[in-house]
Amino acid sequence: MKIEYNFAFFDEGSKREIRRVTLKAVAIPGYQVPFASREMPIARGWGTGGLQLTLSLVGKDDILKVIDQGSDESVNAVNIKKLIAITTGVSVSEETAEATIIQSRHRIPEIPLREGQILVLQVPLPEPLRYYEPSEYETKKLHAEREYSGAWLMLFEQIMNYGTMSTGADHPVMVQGRYVMAPSPIPRFDNPKLNRSQALILFGAGREKKVYAVPPYTRVESLDFEDYPFRVESFQDKCCRLCGAKGVFMDEILDDLTGKTSYQCNDSSYCLQELNGK
Amino acid sequence: MKLDLVHDIQSAYRQTLDSMSRPGLINNISTQADKVTMEISCYNSTLVLVLMLIDTEVKFKVCSEREAEVAKLINQLTYAKATEVESADYILVLNDVKEDDLETAFRMAYSGDLLDPHKAATIIIEVDAVSNDRNLTLTGPGIEKECYINVKAIDRWVDLRAEKNSEYPLGIDLIFTDRANNILCLPRTTQIAKQVVG
Repeated sequence: MKIEYNFAFFDEGSKREIRRVTLKAVAIPGYQVPFASREMPIARGWGTGGLQLTLSLVGKDDILKVIDQGSDESVNAVNIKKLIAITTGVSVSEETAEATIIQSRHRIPEIPLREGQILVLQVPLPEPLRYYEPSEYETKKLHAEREYSGAWLMLFEQIMNYGTMSTGADHPVMVQGRYVMAPSPIPRFDNPKLNRSQALILFGAGREKKVYAVPPYTRVESLDFEDYPFRVESFQDKCCRLCGAKGVFMDEILDDLTGKTSYQCNDSSYCLQELNGK
Repeated sequence: MKLDLVHDIQSAYRQTLDSMSRPGLINNISTQADKVTMEISCYNSTLVLVLMLIDTEVKFKVCSEREAEVAKLINQLTYAKATEVESADYILVLNDVKEDDLETAFRMAYSGDLLDPHKAATIIIEVDAVSNDRNLTLTGPGIEKECYINVKAIDRWVDLRAEKNSEYPLGIDLIFTDRANNILCLPRTTQIAKQVVG
């Protein structure tokens, strides 16, 4: 059985809904706009929010890149890429600089994004205040009133308990001095890339039915304290075992037999590019 | 050639999104707008925006001398219902609008509430021409330092907008279309300063 899907899988009504919401999200940076999230042919929690955004954006001339935890070749990335490519016929690429739309899960690529590119991030939990406030209505009120002491208190408690802010990923940020936003589970290492980014960054949460955005050149500051400033993960003195790169986000790889630890670029396309360049 | 409701609308949308995320950036959608073959009393580019954004999920209002005619056309094309200014999601201010009606559109448009600022209206305004000549200076998210625009329209819109958008995140978002099918967007975050002639 071969079904002839509409271009980009969606019917035009669904695209209109997502497009209207995206324009509003761009107009209110960091604010989570609720939207009529569609049922997708992949499970919720596997990037349906990002996928819906990408499908509403994509056109015949686009070059698409999809990454999952820095890799172009993991199951999630490959499946999403296949779905989009089959229903649109767009070309796909692994090169960050070449792509016009980059859908990503949990990473912002190492190569700086440029004007005209759109980064779509998949978001599991869009609400940065959910950790201490389970009610959606209450968190909406807290955002309305710009009442974010809870977010700081959460970080303060971490400092009390562990001596440092222990957010591994998804460290909350303040967007343009108004909204506290969950940057999706990117490592702290990637948070500074959100600030005054040249590319438009869109966030889609399919299960939680929210879309939000950081337009280019928008102020994005990670929450911190004067005496406990925000710090990114340090990879000082470490270099990639394959390409030798320094100052990038790396995976720690433990060899079971020798017990030795080595490091490798997390962004696989960056690593490959470095290797090919040599 | 006829307007392609899938691909032409998609490329027009990408240009609109580009303009919305970079206020002051003027994009031209003539490639799409020129394919509109109907005889209509609004700009072709305005109709492309209507087809891109409006359907039965939202309500619209047309502010024009030819309101009845244009509203009927939009209803026939999209099935969306026309409504009053204060409850419209999209307000279309056509180029023949009188200054009083423009003022009413700005004053009465819904600017959202603090819980749901996204429910605010978007106003699509037809003007004679938009350009990047130095007249108004824009700053805010989406703009690297500052940029300049010149909008040939009833001058008062700048003050009316400033008044309406005084309490961020409440406010209205504007999309300008002109005779040459240029698109210019001013989301509520953009600050406008009038150039001092000197």
